[in-house]
Amino acid sequence: MRARIEMELEDTPGQLLKILEPISRHGANIKNIVHQREELTPLGKVPVTVIIDVKEDHLKEIVEEIKDIGARITRVGEEEAALRAVVLLVGDIIETGIKDSIERLNSVEGAKVADLNLSIGESGEEPSARVILWAIDQERLQSAISKLKEIASEKNLLVIEPMR
Amino acid sequence: MKVALIGFGNLGKGLTRVLLEKGDYLKEKSGVFLEVTAAVDSGGAIIDEEGINIKDLLEAGQREGSIAEHIDGGEIGTTALDVIERVNSDLVVELTPTSIKDGEPGLTHIKKSMELGKHVVTANKGPLVVGFQELEKLSKEAGVEFRYSATVGGAMPIFGLAKGQMSGDSISEIQGVLNGTTNYILTRMAEEGAPFDVVLNEAQELGIAEEDPTLDIDGVDTAAKITILTNSLLDRNVKLDDVKIEGISRIGPKVTKLAQETGNEVKLVGIANSHTLEVSPKLVPSNNPLAVKGSLNSVTLKTDLAKEITITGFGAGPRETSSALLGDIVNVYKSVEV
Repeated sequence: MRARIEMELEDTPGQLLKILEPISRHGANIKNIVHQREELTPLGKVPVTVIIDVKEDHLKEIVEEIKDIGARITRVGEEEAALRAVVLLVGDIIETGIKDSIERLNSVEGAKVADLNLSIGESGEEPSARVILWAIDQERLQSAISKLKEIASEKNLLVIEPMR
Repeated sequence: MKVALIGFGNLGKGLTRVLLEKGDYLKEKSGVFLEVTAAVDSGGAIIDEEGINIKDLLEAGQREGSIAEHIDGGEIGTTALDVIERVNSDLVVELTPTSIKDGEPGLTHIKKSMELGKHVVTANKGPLVVGFQELEKLSKEAGVEFRYSATVGGAMPIFGLAKGQMSGDSISEIQGVLNGTTNYILTRMAEEGAPFDVVLNEAQELGIAEEDPTLDIDGVDTAAKITILTNSLLDRNVKLDDVKIEGISRIGPKVTKLAQETGNEVKLVGIANSHTLEVSPKLVPSNNPLAVKGSLNSVTLKTDLAKEITITGFGAGPRETSSALLGDIVNVYKSVEV
């Protein structure tokens, strides 16, 4: 399975290395690490997200051992991506080929459409949609958003992007 | 300090009312003594080198037609340029209607005032959108003060903050919700689920939106303001045409709902940094300080030292804008007196 472990580490040297040790010892394959040094928690801890491919029974042991090291685990779950972005579209999403749009987005390597919510407008309002994009890292997420903008421009759809 | 009021519409009247109300307060608190020696509208002027009675001026402003018709000695047909050239004044307050196409007539008024060595305070976006760097240069050459706090964000002291207390910071990015009309429409659609047209009508009835709200809704007003902010605070020389603009006309209550379901608000945001100059609707997290409601404005400055500073306030209204104008006037007074 692919798992996502979110935790908070002390902002001192060597902490990241310590938590990686049990992960590699249990034979898990690290797919991505997001180490948000610039976004300290109110208590001055560093939020870290690790995405790993791991056998299900090993995950529990890894989590326990990371706790023993002193890291605070904030969330553990099955996950396919490290990052997500919400983007809204306004315009003729269905008429202009929704299947084609999704397929082209999914063709971006390391990114995919995780969720799509359609809203059919009333009384003159154009149809709109909320797209949730998943990507394994920031670069791929940006590629997916760029691809979405390219498709939207072709199909005369308005893109409402998240603020950076 | 002798003051000439150029333009006597809503803002001119609003400022005059505040001058009447706060004249004594300003004298006591800041030692500022202001004398209005001229006021002019499109039909004529009132001039008195000894100082116009502010109360009479305000009363004249309440009546139909030009102020010149309602005060003894009013000069029908005297123009703003006549007043700037002829009347003894230290400070010209330029409040004529805005044209973001050519900046006129404000641009000519401001240039002439500077050439004659008069300080200038303005709420008029047009001249700054068209000729910001030119006016800055001219004011320096002429050795006069040039202040324009009221052009962006109404009462929000964004320029005073950035150029005053935050002088030591280098600003790398400006993000702003700068248009009260569009923010009101977006807020009401999100809160009430009411259609765009209904909410726009409501805004017009409340006097928040103008009769012709096209410049607001299409994002041009926000673009004009981000142009001024970019030139003034990022020290660039950009034009309105350089701004990539997308308005809010395609956004309805279904869209704002889709945003809210994920903890976001749709806001019309102007963004300026080294590689972006744009106005477009964005998804702003509800807990972001830019996610202000109603007709409020908000600006975030990203800087090297303070990191992020956001200020919020009322972006329009004669009384709120008077706060910015009066602040500028007092600052001119202080810089001249020292």
